[in-house]
Amino acid sequence: MGIKIGIPRALLYYNFYPAWEAFFNELGGQVILSQKTNKKIMDDGVMNTVDEACLPVKVFFGHILNLKKKNVDYIFVPRVVSLEQDRFLCPKFLGLPDLVRASMTDIPPIIDMDIDLYRGYGRKTRSEIKRVGRIFTNDMRKIKSAEQAGESALKIYTKYLKDGFIPKDALRMTEGTKPIKKSTEGSLKIGLLGHVYNIMDEYISMNIIKKINDFGGTVITSDMLSKSAIDYGASCYPKDMFWTYGREMLGAGRYMLDNDLVDGVILVSAFGCGPDSIIKDMVEREYKRKDTMPFLTLTIDEETGEAGLITRLEAFMDLIQWKEVV
Amino acid sequence: MKLTYPHMGNLDIILKAFFEGMGKEVVVPPPITEKTLSIGVRNCPEFACLPLKITLGNFVEAMEKGADTIIMLGGFGPCRFGYYGQVQREIVRDMGYNPKIIIVEPPHGDLKGFIKNVVSLFPDMTLKDVINAGKIAWQKMIYLDKMEKALLVLRAHESRRGIVTQKYNEYVNYIDRTSDVREIKRLSLEAIKEMKSLTKPADTTLRIAVVGEIYLLVEPFASQDIFKELNEQGVEVKKTEYITDVVFSCIMPWRLSKIKRTASPYLNQVIGGHAIYTIGNTRLCADDGYDGVIQIFPFTCTPEVVSKAILSKMSKDLDIPVMSLSFDENTGQAGYRTRIEAFVDLLMRRRNMNFVNTYC
Repeated sequence: MGIKIGIPRALLYYNFYPAWEAFFNELGGQVILSQKTNKKIMDDGVMNTVDEACLPVKVFFGHILNLKKKNVDYIFVPRVVSLEQDRFLCPKFLGLPDLVRASMTDIPPIIDMDIDLYRGYGRKTRSEIKRVGRIFTNDMRKIKSAEQAGESALKIYTKYLKDGFIPKDALRMTEGTKPIKKSTEGSLKIGLLGHVYNIMDEYISMNIIKKINDFGGTVITSDMLSKSAIDYGASCYPKDMFWTYGREMLGAGRYMLDNDLVDGVILVSAFGCGPDSIIKDMVEREYKRKDTMPFLTLTIDEETGEAGLITRLEAFMDLIQWKEVV
Repeated sequence: MKLTYPHMGNLDIILKAFFEGMGKEVVVPPPITEKTLSIGVRNCPEFACLPLKITLGNFVEAMEKGADTIIMLGGFGPCRFGYYGQVQREIVRDMGYNPKIIIVEPPHGDLKGFIKNVVSLFPDMTLKDVINAGKIAWQKMIYLDKMEKALLVLRAHESRRGIVTQKYNEYVNYIDRTSDVREIKRLSLEAIKEMKSLTKPADTTLRIAVVGEIYLLVEPFASQDIFKELNEQGVEVKKTEYITDVVFSCIMPWRLSKIKRTASPYLNQVIGGHAIYTIGNTRLCADDGYDGVIQIFPFTCTPEVVSKAILSKMSKDLDIPVMSLSFDENTGQAGYRTRIEAFVDLLMRRRNMNFVNTYC
């Protein structure tokens, strides 16, 4: 029976879970996931965070409380500073372990791992991996192989994403399920921009992908675009965007506009999100100037009224269909 | 070429001295008013922070006065301020203006390139002119900040409401007008002496440190002049950061490492904005025996929201009352005044209790 590590099913879970799981499994730990987001988790989160934090952070806190109930030995809260050279993540990721420690006292100890690739994957990153690995074992070879297991798991997962699977399906496939049929239900292609932890969490986004499918649309996210497409879009702006995920949204938005890849674009952002306030404005402005592509922005927060979302989505999809007919 | 730049406390005086010393024509944006703010609010993204909205209003008002070149600072994240210049460029374009916008990016490890960049703005200046203009601007920066530091303490004891502020403004004007390095120093020392003469001695005063986001700290309009509000309730105020400190921490990186060490038990990473200073300075002020700390920041400022959560833990650990106030474009004052009054009352009561506990 290994050490039980709880991983919250929130924030960067959708980007890195297979890597974390492989890493901890290889070290001999037992990974325990929190439940899927539900009302209880969101409410718990809202009660235990600063009121001005954004929704995904509040939900993250709810997941930590959920893990606490599952009697885990540790909770994994990585400090992801940067994922590529010269670009950061949003400030909240930079301070996430500090935020958790400051806001909650009676939770299992936190494993924080600094992931900072601002100056490349170097000695600093490896020593962090070693530091975390030592919690489980003193065998350096085992830590090394865990690192490799994580890397290769991530490679497979990223490939699934680029092939057009949404994280939910891709995660299931990494666990060994047979390739799932891609969701190509509708004829209209809808570009869905937004942070993965917002649009892929079925509760936060009120299952927006399913709803788009029901209205006859197929979703294309920025994860499904190639790197060169994002680079093209981002290079249309004079200054390189310094947030990795913000740049992805900005680039994808511009690429979809210029290439007629989709029939309409929906941008989902969380209330009070710092980076999105800027990105949304930059993207929206360009869409307004060109005025060829239908564009809808949705702001989500802890209110859970679904009717508003459905009405707006339905109207938007109708509009696109009309446009096709005319 | 008519230059303009955003307002931020006394920054306009400093930059004016510098650019005029470099032989440029300067259009100082009109003082920030509700109108400035409403121009910004109408045209800026809704969730962007107050500094973006106010500075955009400054630019528009300055362009109406005839400015055609805008100077704005850049940055490389993770705070979104680094992209504000870019956003503003797009906004003014859509508003129908066509100014030249110069975004000065910070050195980012390339000091030579930075200096070259700045110098290229002024092709026909000699090194001597540059040094001279820099010296005047530097002197004004140092002594204006010194004066403000004195103001925030002395105004708490003014013998009649408003006279110290009046004296301060008078001398700020004198300093704005002079361009003699020695005169600046003399004026500011005289101002401090004059302000002191307008106060009455006080026995017990509360001391409150104000920490938080730099624009809110430096520009009184943005925080509805919380400093004056506190002073008028008889509280001595210390702002933890001035323009001088920002400039110093740019050119003296060891200052940042010192603050980082202080903040490390609570925040172990520079997360953008001034969060690390907020945390570090709060710890220093608690050690220094301040009665309370007030954190001010613009609504939706992510780094400061993170520090707000951390501050509430520090408040318990270090046994110092902390209040966080976030400001947006709503300018209702009553809500803030009530909270500030309540906070001051609490501190006063706390001090009396301590006194009782210690001596009786």
